Amino acid sequence: MQASDAAPVVVDGVVKRYGRRTVLDQVSLVVPPGITGLVGPNGAGKSTLVRAILGLVRLAAGSVRVCGLDPVADPRQVRQLVGVVPEDECTVPGLAAVEMVRYAARLSGFPATEALRRAHEVLDWCDAGQERYRPVETLSVGMRQKVAFAAAIVHDPRLVILDEPTNGLDPIERRAMLGRLETLAHRHGKTVFVSTHVLPDVEAICDHVIVLAAGRVRLAGSITALTRPAAAETRLEATGPLEEFAARLRQAGLAARVADPRGIVFPTPTAAGIAMVWQAAAAAGVEVSSLAGTHRPLEEVFLQAIAAAEEPDHAAA
Amino acid sequence: MPLHDVGYRGWTGRRRGPGHAVGVIMTTGIRLAWTSRWLRRALLFAWSPALFFAASFFAFEQAIDEGRLSSMREGARMGRNLDGVGMLGTVLAETLGRQSSSDAPKTEEEEISQTRRLVWSRLLLAFVRAPQAVLLAVVVGLVAPALISRDLRAKAWLVYFTRPVSRLEYILGKGLVLAVIIAGITMLPGLALWLIGVLVSPSVWVAVATWDLPLKVIASSLVLMVPTALLALAYSSLTAESRIASFAWFATWAACWIAHSSLTTADMMAAANDPAAQMDRETTGSLWGDVDAALGGVDRPPPQKVRWFARAAGLDSTIDPWAWISPYHSLGVMQGWIFGIERRPQAILPPLIALVTLSVVSIVILWRRVDAPARA
Repeated sequence: MQASDAAPVVVDGVVKRYGRRTVLDQVSLVVPPGITGLVGPNGAGKSTLVRAILGLVRLAAGSVRVCGLDPVADPRQVRQLVGVVPEDECTVPGLAAVEMVRYAARLSGFPATEALRRAHEVLDWCDAGQERYRPVETLSVGMRQKVAFAAAIVHDPRLVILDEPTNGLDPIERRAMLGRLETLAHRHGKTVFVSTHVLPDVEAICDHVIVLAAGRVRLAGSITALTRPAAAETRLEATGPLEEFAARLRQAGLAARVADPRGIVFPTPTAAGIAMVWQAAAAAGVEVSSLAGTHRPLEEVFLQAIAAAEEPDHAAA
Repeated sequence: MPLHDVGYRGWTGRRRGPGHAVGVIMTTGIRLAWTSRWLRRALLFAWSPALFFAASFFAFEQAIDEGRLSSMREGARMGRNLDGVGMLGTVLAETLGRQSSSDAPKTEEEEISQTRRLVWSRLLLAFVRAPQAVLLAVVVGLVAPALISRDLRAKAWLVYFTRPVSRLEYILGKGLVLAVIIAGITMLPGLALWLIGVLVSPSVWVAVATWDLPLKVIASSLVLMVPTALLALAYSSLTAESRIASFAWFATWAACWIAHSSLTTADMMAAANDPAAQMDRETTGSLWGDVDAALGGVDRPPPQKVRWFARAAGLDSTIDPWAWISPYHSLGVMQGWIFGIERRPQAILPPLIALVTLSVVSIVILWRRVDAPARA
């Protein structure tokens, strides 16, 4: 069977049990093109879901499709299309970093010379520098993470799955890693599926998010939709007498409130209302620095989803 | 950004198909194993017995070249040391002792050809069975334990099983690492010995006359390779600590050897006190029976230093009832069968069954264990 242009990953009613413990319970989700974040507390089943996508675990029920292929029936083809950066550090001791990446390329079917050329190319892109000639077991955690990432993308996969990709990275490296993921997704058309605990990372780069808790999908959708407040609101950031400014807006019929010392929030007005806001700002003597729609922090969305997941358990207890 | 950094680029080249990973895993495994100084030393040392055997080949062919086969035969009958280490005399004496009047050669050429064939077979069998099989156990014990356990410890199994590599390819790749190393200890020196024999013989046509011996060397090396590599890999797959796998490997060989020796000794002691067994022993032949007969009925055992050789060369005509208990002895019986020296089913079957069972159990363990962490 050939890989199709179907959704990169479709998981349908997947159940996975280890003994009596159900780790994935009727999990259904679709990973669309772009960057998708998989978030969830420890033990939520994220790593098992990743293994299910790779066809490494036997499922009790349900099915998984990767680019239209069944990873259990066509593991070889699926793994050609997928690059994985596991959470666990996985290297072959004794190999230098560049040899490790070359080895990964060769295992994916690259000819020897091309594998070496490609290994250097992706290591250059990952900013590995001269460290690439050191044995992998002597590298720093951050450098090993880069090597693992380079090994995952060396064969130019269509889908890149990363488990905690920013673990052990300093803030600069973390930013660089997130930038590489954005480049892969938005400039090279790869689908990036990131399993992480770090919500700011998800918020920074992901187009979609899936919240998994206690083996079930609690929330799934685009970041924009999930973080949109119940009622559309606008936040205005400004310096000056904000209380007076808010009072003027209220007098004009706009239910404004001071959210914090730097900004006020009010229901998103019409075009005419916006003109009134500028007039009120000028009258109050405030200097407006930004005006944008508000959104709920992802952390709040996540915590609400987790709390909702725990409620039945509490009720049962 | 450095000049050479071209950024991320797609790749549309042609990829190699299934089976390619086997070669990649094998070559990388050999390269990693070769970094061990101990392995390099052990492999170098593993070729040293070939020098002694080459001396025997040279002495035998020199005697033929100089027309001294008859005097060599006499020397063997007198128990003389013909090659400096006593191996050739033992083989020759036994070989001549086995030639019955019915299959006695008619011409001198035939006699030389037949004797050469028997002597070369015995020497090659002794070479692959005695020193090389022991060295093999040592070298495999150095290399094999880390092959899979290191992957388990470093979680490197993810490197393989998140890529288009099947369990079978992984096991074959790792197994071939051992196979190549074992071939370097048994097959290559064995073939080199045969080549030396051809080169020191009076005519290169000897190569045609002994064409099957290289094949027998290869087959006997394969017999050594398969069960030993599978057992060693199975141990390696059972633990993330290569030291434990290494201990299990050496303990198996040592314990089985000791068990075999103990049971054989117990049998011999029981037989010594049993008149019926004594009579049976006299009629069926003893360890030194053929050699003694070949030595012209001289009532004395061969020198102590060639006893191991006589046993390894398949000169022991008694059936070893406990061979199946020890991998080393089982492998020896099977190699004797390949070289056409041991043909009795009652001698071959128990070790054959033991080795097949050992291999099958090892395969089952390997099959279940190599990707067990992925399923956990």
